Amino acid sequence: MTATAPTLFDDPVVPPLRRILNSFRGPVGSISATLVVTLLVGLIWVGPSFFSPSNIQIVGVSVAIPLIVGVMASFALLAGVVDLSIGSMVGFGAVVFNQLVATGMNAWLVALITVGVGVVVGLTNAFVIVRFGAEPLAVTLGMLTLLRGLSQVVVVSAPPSTLIEPLYNVTQGAIAGFPTLLLIGIGVTLIAAGIVSKTRIGRKVQAVGGDDRAAARAGISVSKVRVIALVASSVGAAVGGILYVGQLGSASNVLGTGLEFQIYAALMIGGYSITRGGVGNPIGGLLGLLVVAGITNILNVTFTDPNYLDLITAIILVAAVLVDRFRGGDAFE
Amino acid sequence: MTTSLITPADPAAPQSPGGAKLRRPDSRGLPVSARDALSITGVWALLIIATTIVRPDFLSTQSLLAVTFTMSISGILAVSQAIIVISGGLLDLSLPVSLILSAWATVTALNNGLPTAVAIPIGIVTGMAWGGLNGLIVVFGKLNPIIVTLATGFGGLAVMLIFFKSAQIPSTSELRLYGLGRFLGLPNIFWPMLIVIVLGGLAFAYTRWGRRLIAVGGNPSAAKARGINLRRMRFASFIGAGAVAGLAGVMFSAVTPSFTPAAGASFQLIVIGAVILAGISLSGGKGNLLVLVLSVGFLATIPTSIAFFGLAPAWALVFQGALLIIAVGIDGYRLKRTAR
Amino acid sequence: MTHFTRGRLARLGLVAVAAASLMLAGCSTVGSTSGASTDSATDSTFTVGFAVGGQPDADWQDLQGEVAKGLAEQRGWNFVELSNDNSEATATKNADIFIQKGVNMVMMFNGQPSANPVIAKKYADAGIPVVTFDIAQPGWYFVGVDNATAGTDGGTALGNLAKSKWNCQVDLVISAEGTAAGQINTWRTGNARDAVKKVCPNIPEANYVSYEADGNLTTSLANAPGVFAAHPDAKNILVVGLNDQAVVGALQAATQLGRDGSIMGWGQDGGLITGANVDPHLAGSVMYFLEGYPAEAFKIADEIAAGKAPAVKDTGTDPAASVQPCPVTAAQAAAIPNINDRVSQLAAAPQGTTEYDLFCKA
Repeated sequence: MTATAPTLFDDPVVPPLRRILNSFRGPVGSISATLVVTLLVGLIWVGPSFFSPSNIQIVGVSVAIPLIVGVMASFALLAGVVDLSIGSMVGFGAVVFNQLVATGMNAWLVALITVGVGVVVGLTNAFVIVRFGAEPLAVTLGMLTLLRGLSQVVVVSAPPSTLIEPLYNVTQGAIAGFPTLLLIGIGVTLIAAGIVSKTRIGRKVQAVGGDDRAAARAGISVSKVRVIALVASSVGAAVGGILYVGQLGSASNVLGTGLEFQIYAALMIGGYSITRGGVGNPIGGLLGLLVVAGITNILNVTFTDPNYLDLITAIILVAAVLVDRFRGGDAFE
Repeated sequence: MTTSLITPADPAAPQSPGGAKLRRPDSRGLPVSARDALSITGVWALLIIATTIVRPDFLSTQSLLAVTFTMSISGILAVSQAIIVISGGLLDLSLPVSLILSAWATVTALNNGLPTAVAIPIGIVTGMAWGGLNGLIVVFGKLNPIIVTLATGFGGLAVMLIFFKSAQIPSTSELRLYGLGRFLGLPNIFWPMLIVIVLGGLAFAYTRWGRRLIAVGGNPSAAKARGINLRRMRFASFIGAGAVAGLAGVMFSAVTPSFTPAAGASFQLIVIGAVILAGISLSGGKGNLLVLVLSVGFLATIPTSIAFFGLAPAWALVFQGALLIIAVGIDGYRLKRTAR
Repeated sequence: MTHFTRGRLARLGLVAVAAASLMLAGCSTVGSTSGASTDSATDSTFTVGFAVGGQPDADWQDLQGEVAKGLAEQRGWNFVELSNDNSEATATKNADIFIQKGVNMVMMFNGQPSANPVIAKKYADAGIPVVTFDIAQPGWYFVGVDNATAGTDGGTALGNLAKSKWNCQVDLVISAEGTAAGQINTWRTGNARDAVKKVCPNIPEANYVSYEADGNLTTSLANAPGVFAAHPDAKNILVVGLNDQAVVGALQAATQLGRDGSIMGWGQDGGLITGANVDPHLAGSVMYFLEGYPAEAFKIADEIAAGKAPAVKDTGTDPAASVQPCPVTAAQAAAIPNINDRVSQLAAAPQGTTEYDLFCKA
């Protein structure tokens, strides 16, 4: 392992209970409160059926894939390299998986190939960003355009239908009355949260995103951390694409359009920043996605014009970054 | 690190040295913008030569018309985006909303019997108002413009979708006839784009406001130390960029007989791509509008070439995306090398 | 510790904003979703779930919802509406929501039909009958225009115009495709092309070209100029396509490039053939009265509500209800009211009337 400066990773000794309470003082606290309010509004407006198993299933199924994609992409945010190509990567991964499965190839092998495509895309992003020092926003915007174009080149007419029974059951089913895929998503989130807060790797990622010069001086390989983070982000999106094919039984060439902004809006509500690394926690990301999914569901089950969702999300997003600023986050001048 | 909001990807990358970098010579003594212009012209020429080899009839007035028509609206929008980027406002992701909102305001004015001379200013003022809204949130909230305009971008689209389904310009109005006409052999709407780019380029280079915007974009703290009011400059840049986007909206309504609130979405990527390809760095303080017109023209030639090659239009997206990646890669590499 | 209190204040602010904006949305729309909050599983009123397409470029899709709402109110039924948002994921989620709501039947237009097998499986398990507009799915009542006939009708009319005006001397036949629509695109665009070929068999094969217009004017206008430029010598030009938007995009591009000397287009769906601002080169279109589709679907709904569900007919060649295509020239279309007026006239018409009865028979 590389030598690290003690000042970077010196944890003050704080009792565990205190530490848990402290974590609620930050963004996780305000987003928890927002989630509670959302749930209360749902309970009042929709009634007790808001918490019915079928409704939890609806929310769980729709939020789980963005959650998995978002948690993996959050490593790139944390390392200070935003990856805008995830939405198109979800779509392209799904298209690759769906088209190849339709040719009769083994689904596991195809899944492996799809993840491999994700690795290649992630490495390409990382190569240009890290090796050449290019603007992450610009590079991944190019990748977003390129991958969307490729999806349209591959799928020119109606895409084939590939209902894969086991994958459908995982992505749409439930275990003990709780959506299976959401359980997996929460599992991924907890593991990610553990990595970020408990392991050296996690703290390296935070250090690189927070202040890359200081991290470099402390002996951390900034390039290596960013390459890993960008590959994780692309692979997460590729896996998301596979799961969508399981859930929907096919993949059109518009799948995942705009998904990157929906996910990043939710992650920013949860305390991440797309313009500044080193901040945010996967738990906050989970809560942010749940707030947006909760509001979506309230509007859905009351059959309200869905356009209000984007308006509300926009207002909450601005409010959330404003709160972050008041709390001492970066001010833009 | 309070104001450098796009994290440099490499610790060795230079911090903006401040002030205008327009004339910063590189190792070979050429100004950076001149070399950007040369390299884009070179790649553009390559594309034209390659297409001409495949289809000798590519070099025709028809191709010229097709390219200049495609350039016009994205060119004006690119100027709007460039004003934001050069002045350090990072990016305006809500540009599709200002475009359609202004177009809708223009068309609504015309449909209500207002004369063209009133409808056009209404469109431009609508763009300014939208820019002003973004500016207000950014300046008074001290919030990052990328995040603010991301939010106002999808919030604004939602509001438009709630209030109107589609808009049509009266087919006999002067503005509509203007949009269909040609002047000196090129589409009418090409000329406002050229005028905006020339005026904008001159304003950046020779007016006090322009130079101040570049200074603010390049190094805000140094600009502040020189007594420039950052908030006022930031607000002004958003309103100015909004006015330009408003003009784009007016032109859009002139050439599009019927449009819906979502019709602006297709301009988003091409405009940001053109700005980045032109070497206008997202960290601000750097950029040349002459290079911008070249990069818009180059990107507008790609779909036409694709049609000559007989490929599906989706390939244009693939090429544009790949070019963008390569261009920012080369740009980043150059910055890195000159820093040493 | 001012820092801490400030953060707390801010947190309260965020919570307040969240609550306020939710309430705002609630209050502003509560009036428009009458009867939505009562759970239909507990009352016996017939409930129709309606999913609009949500494709941002098509204003008729939202109007379908309005027409359906009016028809449900006529009958005293509950009516709930969602948008498929042009996304297969949303369309699939909407199925879960309608099933949870316990609707008695569902009507929808799904412009991204790739997830339809999954959606069909969900509705089949729940025992809910489905009416689909224009895009067929096994097991669902197909209500739509006979797209194949509509394509042939439009192409034949355009071919006849070319025959009488240009003696079939056609230099270029442009197909403004919308490949995402799959079979529908083949029927409308492909059949129109074949019909032109049939009327004017002497047009050389090389004079037929296609490009992707994606069924909307903005994309069509962006992609068409290259096509005209790539065929600089063509004078007499015909345009067919997936819909009016696609065709008008090509006609606009021709005007921009000065190629509108002799060009004629024939659209499909009638989206841009009525009203005051019809493109002068759009010679005609085939009107389907898309916004009026629910009138056909409610005839099926009436039978289901009466407990006599009709046999499922689920293909375009053997539809549950065939919407009559109405080929019109631009001159004929001038007499037909615009889309908003049609919606209100249909709402005022007696039960069982279709827009074809109202506007095409005359």
